[in-house]
Amino acid sequence: MEFLADGFRRAWSLLAGGDPEVYRIALLTLQVAVVATIVSCVLGLPLGYFLATRRFWGRRAALTVVNTALAFPTVVVGLLLYGILSRRGPLGGIGWLYTWQAIVVGDVLLALPIAAALSAAAIQGVDPRIRRTAETLGAGSWLTAWTVTREARFALAAVITAAFGQVVAEIGTAMIVGGNIRGATRTLTTAVALYTSQGDFGMALALGLILLVMALLVNIALQVLQGRGGG
Amino acid sequence: MLDFEQFAIPKTGVVGLVGHNGSGKSTLLRLLALLEAPTEGHVLWNGGAVAPRQRAALRRRITLVEQRPVLFRGTVRDNLEYGLRVRDIRHSAAHGMIGDVVERLGLGPLLNRRRHELSDGEVQRVAVGRALVLRTDVLLLDEPASSADRAATGALYRTLAAERAERPFAACIASHQLEDAYRWADDIRALAEGRLSPVTPENLFRVELPAGEGVKQVRVGNIVFAVMTDRSGALVLAVPPTDIFVSREPLASSARNVLRGRVSGMAIELRGAGVHVRADFSGVELIATITAEAARDLALGPGSPVVFSFKASAIRVF
Repeated sequence: MEFLADGFRRAWSLLAGGDPEVYRIALLTLQVAVVATIVSCVLGLPLGYFLATRRFWGRRAALTVVNTALAFPTVVVGLLLYGILSRRGPLGGIGWLYTWQAIVVGDVLLALPIAAALSAAAIQGVDPRIRRTAETLGAGSWLTAWTVTREARFALAAVITAAFGQVVAEIGTAMIVGGNIRGATRTLTTAVALYTSQGDFGMALALGLILLVMALLVNIALQVLQGRGGG
Repeated sequence: MLDFEQFAIPKTGVVGLVGHNGSGKSTLLRLLALLEAPTEGHVLWNGGAVAPRQRAALRRRITLVEQRPVLFRGTVRDNLEYGLRVRDIRHSAAHGMIGDVVERLGLGPLLNRRRHELSDGEVQRVAVGRALVLRTDVLLLDEPASSADRAATGALYRTLAAERAERPFAACIASHQLEDAYRWADDIRALAEGRLSPVTPENLFRVELPAGEGVKQVRVGNIVFAVMTDRSGALVLAVPPTDIFVSREPLASSARNVLRGRVSGMAIELRGAGVHVRADFSGVELIATITAEAARDLALGPGSPVVFSFKASAIRVF
């Protein structure tokens, strides 16, 4: 018990004292998560809409691939990306290995299937009459898509939250392609793992608390958004 | 599944499409609205088959109000202006363009309401208004009065009449209310099991059929029909005018329905060589179609006594 209490005390002093290391890590994590969430949603939501509304050859297979990708182990994605980005890999030339951009790429690979699969489900949940009505009232394909998307906005907001949650909490790819370099690629999750293994339980706990608060804030923001604007 | 040779809506006519639920009315309307493509056959516009790349442009000239319409999120006004806005008409201009329809359909008090604040009948009225403001060349209505009360139904059809008086357009109104179709359409087509029914919409009677099999006696007004059917419940009987034998005296025949009455009117068919003989049987009116020669031979005229005979199995039930 004494050990746990000590941990909490140290965590509190680090947070309250404004420890620069703690805040640098938190800021980088936020940066990576926001960029990766935006990229994966910008690509994933249209892909989801496409999968949900178009009938084309191989659609079923595409949906299966996307749904399978939901369960991709993060370390495996990290490993593959490492092979691609390492100096001898096909994209070694751009020199992104062990940079925050590499973590973003890894996170996008993980969050994209979430954004696509969940938004496809969200769009499929929209009353099919909405789409037909938009079309028969003269809306072209873009306006129809916009109208249908507006009807699914709550579900799509949840998709964005889910993508952010995946990105902010994953450790596998961040560790492998980021390298957990202090001041450069050390994110909250990799730092928690590192400090725990080093025996600095207080520091790990402080970082873990920040991670929890981040997730909480994003969900609160979502609920506020959902509270606004009725039917 | 729909299976027929052709179905046409004249440029400025109103076609009533009758048939019970599941007869294919909604499917046909969705095909005509270019929302779905037929797996076989073509949809033609002005005589030419509609190519896939034309669909989006033509959809702006055809609009469909579905049987159970949905409103988009937003207010009733947002919904009424939706089609105008997607046609790049500015907010201020759209405002003025919905005025007539709002007034005719009595939508004024609803303008700022949202969909969850409306009854089914009100949603339907808004949906009809949303389509009417677009002034499309073709208006397709699927059971537009199914959730409306009598007054609202009257208002709806008066609005359609007023709109048609202002500008000609083609309309197709699907309804299971045969009386409605009769009252408002220039031409009526019956759809049954996806086929255009051979039964013309004359001689239709709403009845309550008792349970059981075989020949049933059903009262219609002051007369009784013998009907061969296994169906029961609230249904419509149709006596095909071409299946009625017309004679001066009762015939010795297998017909279970032999009715004595008087000719109340005769009309020569516009197309074809048939003659419609309308006769009154104790207050119930029936129409039979016979050839012009037969009409001459029988020497029928208004007021002359006449006998209509038809088999119990000739009566269609739907």
